[in-house]
Amino acid sequence: MPNYIPTIGIEVHVELKTKTKIFSNSTNGYGKMANSLTNVIDLGYPGTLPTLNKEVINLAIKAATVLNCKIRRKMHFDRKNYFYPDNPKNYQITQARTPIGYDGYIEIEINGTKKKIAIEEMHIEEDTCKSTHRGTKTLLDFNRAGVPLIEIVTKPCISSSEEAKLYLEKLKELLFYCDISDCKMEEGSMRADANVSIRKKETDPFGTKCEIKNIGSISNVGISLEKEIIRQQKLLEQGETFKEQTRRYDDKIGDTVLMRIKETGNDYRYFPEPDIPYLYITEEMITQVKKSIPMLPDERRQVYLSKGVTTINTNKLIQNRPLSEFFNTLLDENINFKIASNLLLGDISAYLNKTEKDITDTTLTKNRFIELVNNMDKKILTSKNLKDILDKVLEEEKSIAEIIKSSGIENITDDNALREIIKNIIENNQETVTDYKNGHDRAIKFFMGQVMKETKGGANPNLAMEILQEELKNR
Amino acid sequence: MMYLDKSIKEINKLLIDKKIKPIDLVEEAFTRIENNKELNAYITLNKEEALKQAKELESLEVDNPLFGIPIAIKDNIITKNLLTTCASHILDNFIPIYDATVIEKIKKKRMIIIGKTNMDEFGMGSSSRTSYFKAPKNPWNKEKITGGSSGGSAATIAANCVPLALGTDTGGSIRQPSSYCGIVGMKPTYGRVSRYGLVAFASSLDQIGPMTKHVYENALLLNAIVGKDEKDLTSTTKEDEDFTRLIGEDIKGMKIAIPNYFMSDIVEENIKEKIKEVVELLKEKGAIIDYIDIKYIENAVTLYQIIAMGEASSNLARFDGIRYGYSKENPKDIMDLYYGTRQEGFGEEVKRRIMIGSYLLSGENATKYYNKALSIRDDMKKEFTMFFEKYDLIIGPTTTTTAYNLTDPMDDPLKSFMDDILVIPVNMAGLPGLNIPVGFTSDSMPIGMQIIGNAFEEAQIYKLASFIENKLNLDLNPGGAKNA
Repeated sequence: MPNYIPTIGIEVHVELKTKTKIFSNSTNGYGKMANSLTNVIDLGYPGTLPTLNKEVINLAIKAATVLNCKIRRKMHFDRKNYFYPDNPKNYQITQARTPIGYDGYIEIEINGTKKKIAIEEMHIEEDTCKSTHRGTKTLLDFNRAGVPLIEIVTKPCISSSEEAKLYLEKLKELLFYCDISDCKMEEGSMRADANVSIRKKETDPFGTKCEIKNIGSISNVGISLEKEIIRQQKLLEQGETFKEQTRRYDDKIGDTVLMRIKETGNDYRYFPEPDIPYLYITEEMITQVKKSIPMLPDERRQVYLSKGVTTINTNKLIQNRPLSEFFNTLLDENINFKIASNLLLGDISAYLNKTEKDITDTTLTKNRFIELVNNMDKKILTSKNLKDILDKVLEEEKSIAEIIKSSGIENITDDNALREIIKNIIENNQETVTDYKNGHDRAIKFFMGQVMKETKGGANPNLAMEILQEELKNR
Repeated sequence: MMYLDKSIKEINKLLIDKKIKPIDLVEEAFTRIENNKELNAYITLNKEEALKQAKELESLEVDNPLFGIPIAIKDNIITKNLLTTCASHILDNFIPIYDATVIEKIKKKRMIIIGKTNMDEFGMGSSSRTSYFKAPKNPWNKEKITGGSSGGSAATIAANCVPLALGTDTGGSIRQPSSYCGIVGMKPTYGRVSRYGLVAFASSLDQIGPMTKHVYENALLLNAIVGKDEKDLTSTTKEDEDFTRLIGEDIKGMKIAIPNYFMSDIVEENIKEKIKEVVELLKEKGAIIDYIDIKYIENAVTLYQIIAMGEASSNLARFDGIRYGYSKENPKDIMDLYYGTRQEGFGEEVKRRIMIGSYLLSGENATKYYNKALSIRDDMKKEFTMFFEKYDLIIGPTTTTTAYNLTDPMDDPLKSFMDDILVIPVNMAGLPGLNIPVGFTSDSMPIGMQIIGNAFEEAQIYKLASFIENKLNLDLNPGGAKNA
């Protein structure tokens, strides 16, 4: 089969993480009893009017900023008119003509090369209610009606399923990171539709496109695109043509299936929403929102690697936002970041998982953590020591030095005490001293083992080795 | 019992002096409504609740001039626990679970809601004959229409059954029936009164306003219902003001304009004569009167049809039989539910307007018609604003004819818009406008004059209206009403 070039465009809907809905003061929540988060506005009762949740505008500005979009300063909402049981007013309030963000991009890295995925526009709209089909009946849950959404539309500039997946992962990471959305595809707070067409040469006109709707996971976006590309190729190779259509990905059969052929002239009778006046975005609003944008994942990645954190730890830190935030408070300090990252992602993470705490719920302050890292770095504390004192470090407010002291660890790191222990061991093992002198490697290991046994693992290994070698030399 | 023939000031004094109780007013109102039953002014009476409320008020202090006064509400304004039909079969079982903002305000002032008045279905019509509950009749002559769409409110006020009523005005629906029934009706500036709880016909034009027998009461009622509402983003941020404050002031030096179009041959001769008489009177009393040409006003009806029907087609989409209102029984599928509910639930005029509105917003038409109409509307607004730099008020007749026969044909859809040709420009420009009765035809049908003000200048309108009311001192008790 000759190679075809796919052209892919992706539309993503994400639910915004606001306290209340976009046009009413009902709570925006997931997983609550059906129709418990609704009021007359969400139900489209006669006489009701929309209000506008400012939080939505701020999150949309935030999203537009991190997606490198231009932000429109004067905008309005539009009504998209269509009848559907999940659409309480039988029109959806959206932004058809004046999307808040436009001309943006997301940068992905594919096979070591960077590529910008161009974003055509992003706009604000309201979610519909959720319908569940039971036999011949349809149940409607209006909890979702009026939940704020942003829709992000790429240009048809994605050329492989791999790129599509990378784009979605990057998008998800950004929106999640900035607290714009939960981005849970399984709960529907992030939904992706993909448009794909194929052609033989870059210079050919675009082929007939098919839309794959509501794909449930990022990996399924990849699979469904590949399947769809193959399906289209086969048809074209057989000399067949096909119509523009909407398909869905069926997880069970692992392929896309036809939902409907697109009819031309699908007419939503858009017109400006007369119940919501023009909205003006000021420079000040944008500045305010920008202040709330955290350091983005890409920048964190770069900084962490430059501080000597391993790639694995860098990625783990970025995925754990609270730990990453804690880590960021240390960036100006002169400490061993490798140890710091190991500490956070190792024993401290284990403690936090076990106790279901957030790092901010512990007594670990920036300064105490620095003290802890430095003690580890200077080998005053071994990882075994750390395990012993960790609960105290995270639950008490004493300085690390005090904790070390009160835990009896300090004695062992003390030169003289350790020297006494070592001298004793040497006294009692004269044969091994001879072995050592004769150049047997295992002799020193035996002594170290004895030291650790005596000190219950509490001795600083570097120091112990140093003293041991000195004492042996003197024999 | 003839308390309802007295002025609000007098009634208020009687209440304060405890010479009467609110229940006396309520009982009298219901007696009069009963006696005038053939006017068909009401769709629903709130008798039980109104009597109960009147009783409850007896223990309270009379804290404002509208305390205890019976009021009638047009049936497209949402009233909690009280049937709200919009005069449509599709809502004839609809008992709302919330109050419109104006209703909250009315209850706060302790006015007593007497009932819900008849109207054109969803406000779509100019004779109240599109009502699912049959047309109301004009108290001046029961063979005649009340006008519309606020026909029931106009009739019940004209017949002195209640002192206060609320109407709504999208393209003249307060002023035109006020003119036909000889009462005072004000459409306030767009945004003055919250639309929250007004069942939308054309969102960018709809406005609730007071309908009364006299000017002073009208201004009082407006005082009670205005104000910024968090629930309506199009409501104004203007501070509250006392709309009665200029009543009684001299009109000397007032600059008043009359659009030539308003006195052209589209208007019946006897109406123009009456207006000219008033104009002479005003000149005599020192007002400065000029004739002007306002661009675009002759296009107002066309623009109105595009904007109002376009918006209506979308606003009425929510009546689908799923959540409230009439619902086709045992539908085969969802389409059958939609088609059945809407075919059976809506009347002919409403369906006609939904279809035309949908067409006007379809595909390229939205840009060709709706958006273009919006932009011409802006120009018209600017044109009015320009004239209001020079003039305090604009006046003219409210209607081109007086009330016509109920039996006149309804098969000309354009006719109903032509009834509103002089009132529609005011909605298009978002301005305040008021009807004041200025006389009668030879067969005793009322003639109305329209007074148009600059945005948020309702107080100026009341000033002139009250002056005219005083000078003319007309007997506005219709022969047809039974109030003995």
